[in-house]
Amino acid sequence: MIHLIALLLYNAAFLLWLRTLLGGGRGRDAPPAWTTAAGVAAHVVAVGTYAAEFRELPLVGLGPSLSMLALLVTSGLLGAVVVREGERVGIVLLPLAIILQAVALAVGIRPSGTDPDFQGGWFILHAGLGLAGVVGIALAGASGGLYLAQFRELKARRMGRLFYFLPPLATLDRLGRVGSHVGFVLLTVSLALGWAWTVRFRGTFGQDDVEMWWGLFSWLAVLTAILARAARGGTPERRAALANSVAFLLIVAGYVVLRVTAHPEAGFL
Amino acid sequence: MTPALVGLSHRTAPVEIRERLAFPGDEAVHALSGLRDAGVEEVVLLATCNRTELYLESGKEETLARAVNFLERAAGALPEPLPNYLYRRSGDSVALHLFRVVSGLDSMVPGEAEVQGQVREAYQRAAGSDPAMTGAVLNRLFQTALSVGGRVRSETAIGEGSASVASVAVELARKIFGDLRGRRVLVLGAGETAERMVTSLGREGVQGVMVANRTYDRAVDLAERLHGRAVRMEEITRALADADIVLTSTSAPHFLITASNLTAAYPAGVTSPLLMVDIAIPRDIDPELGSVADVFLYNVDDLQRILDESLDRRRAAAVEAESLIAREVEGFALWHRSLAVVPAIRALREHGERVRAREVARLIERMPHLSGADRDAVEAFSRRLLNQLLHEPTARLRKAAEEGRGEEALAAVRHWGEGHDLA
Repeated sequence: MIHLIALLLYNAAFLLWLRTLLGGGRGRDAPPAWTTAAGVAAHVVAVGTYAAEFRELPLVGLGPSLSMLALLVTSGLLGAVVVREGERVGIVLLPLAIILQAVALAVGIRPSGTDPDFQGGWFILHAGLGLAGVVGIALAGASGGLYLAQFRELKARRMGRLFYFLPPLATLDRLGRVGSHVGFVLLTVSLALGWAWTVRFRGTFGQDDVEMWWGLFSWLAVLTAILARAARGGTPERRAALANSVAFLLIVAGYVVLRVTAHPEAGFL
Repeated sequence: MTPALVGLSHRTAPVEIRERLAFPGDEAVHALSGLRDAGVEEVVLLATCNRTELYLESGKEETLARAVNFLERAAGALPEPLPNYLYRRSGDSVALHLFRVVSGLDSMVPGEAEVQGQVREAYQRAAGSDPAMTGAVLNRLFQTALSVGGRVRSETAIGEGSASVASVAVELARKIFGDLRGRRVLVLGAGETAERMVTSLGREGVQGVMVANRTYDRAVDLAERLHGRAVRMEEITRALADADIVLTSTSAPHFLITASNLTAAYPAGVTSPLLMVDIAIPRDIDPELGSVADVFLYNVDDLQRILDESLDRRRAAAVEAESLIAREVEGFALWHRSLAVVPAIRALREHGERVRAREVARLIERMPHLSGADRDAVEAFSRRLLNQLLHEPTARLRKAAEEGRGEEALAAVRHWGEGHDLA
């Protein structure tokens, strides 16, 4: 029930942003930001209730982990408030969080009864950091996409709704840089922990683990996006925006493909 | 009291007339003293570059004539009599006019924000003078007006978007660079528009202004005014490499900045976004530069089109603002009509108070054994009783006045008062 309330609040926040966008791109940022905050608060309560009831964090199983990812996405969005107009990336991140939470609710947010190996502190760190890393990448991807949209508006010499709604290029670049760097560091630590655990306790490099390959692919995609800033041609900001948005799309596409094609027994999230 | 207004604006008087009644700086304070000396004791003088208006607490013909007379003396000899340029309003239409003025609906640029501060200043000047030159009606009128101005700006899009070519340039710069603090500007040409643009950018924190002009001395002059430095025309390529924003407004017959300048300034290609605003005719910047990926080039037509779109949006928002104002005028009119019965309500209360005090005194005289606490209790009881008895008739009187039946209600009170010693 509380998960559903969080979902409804995320929807309300998104509709408020949409209203601002359709109403000429200008408007007060406080109502959607506070509605998002209320959604995050409800979501935190839901996670706390889950943890108290099942004696574990919602990190294992499709429903719980997608819901947790949704919570981290919206929390990351709240973090963007520190940059002026930064919270407006919510126009992209909120739909993402809504989809994640809706799917989580559809498949059920309950323990999967998975191996107890996946319930220790080691795993919590690995999964938690991994999800937070994905949030950083999502923030970078969303900011990158919006950067390209604002860039297009400016080059087309339009001052329409999108122009007024979207944050300045510099703000979007800053969010993209922070998102990709933080995402990369968290993902690196998460992968290292997961791999070390696999090698130590399972005696394998995890080459048969689909998640390991997806993680590695994601890590390479983010690394490429970060390195793109230093490449030649155009401004670093625009290269990074393009690379971040492409990296994020590839990571999501990779996930969907693996999720659809993976054997059900493989336990891929 | 019925408020009245007499004044002129850009809609009724040309600039050469308006400037005669501008009252800049301290002159507005002296003008208020002059009005008081002329027998206009409750008045607010609103003087901006587009209007001079006197808002009067009382719309009596005599007061209006004194106000007009004052304006005529202040304006001096004119090609036509001053009343030809003046408009007059009285009653609720004063509120409608002021609410539209404070909301920027009567301004040259719809929704301009400066007028809100000017109205506040004018009101504070009159209300704060010793003795105050505003009565209950003017206080209510201006306090409501200021609140209406704020609401119109926050609840409608009337003040959104750019209102001048200079503000379009600032808006573009902000959408590219975000915070403009520390950004560097290269200005080609020492014209007024360029100066206005740089001044607007300066307010946003832009620093490091470089000015180049065909006449170097004029570049030095402008650079000094803008706290920047002058550069020679042959140095503009080097200056271009240092600039984030380029503004051009020279009268040169050929392009001053071409692809070769850009290549020379950025041998490895443009490495950070570059905003170029070319308001010169003929243009100073080769339009081909607009196709360079990270160069954002705008010419005077682009700025004008963006400005027109913005003003169109403001005009569309004005419709919404007008309906908000109409509601507020109605509220003010209700309050103003309710004033008609205020003297009757006051007389009724005073009469009640006299009766109450007399009867309590009689009672206490007959009951000397009452303790101090008991006497206080009797006092309090009698006051509560009086308040409860008068509450209903007071409310009905106000409502009748608001509904335009004030005279009818007053007649009833007067009739009742004849039998009671109603003052």
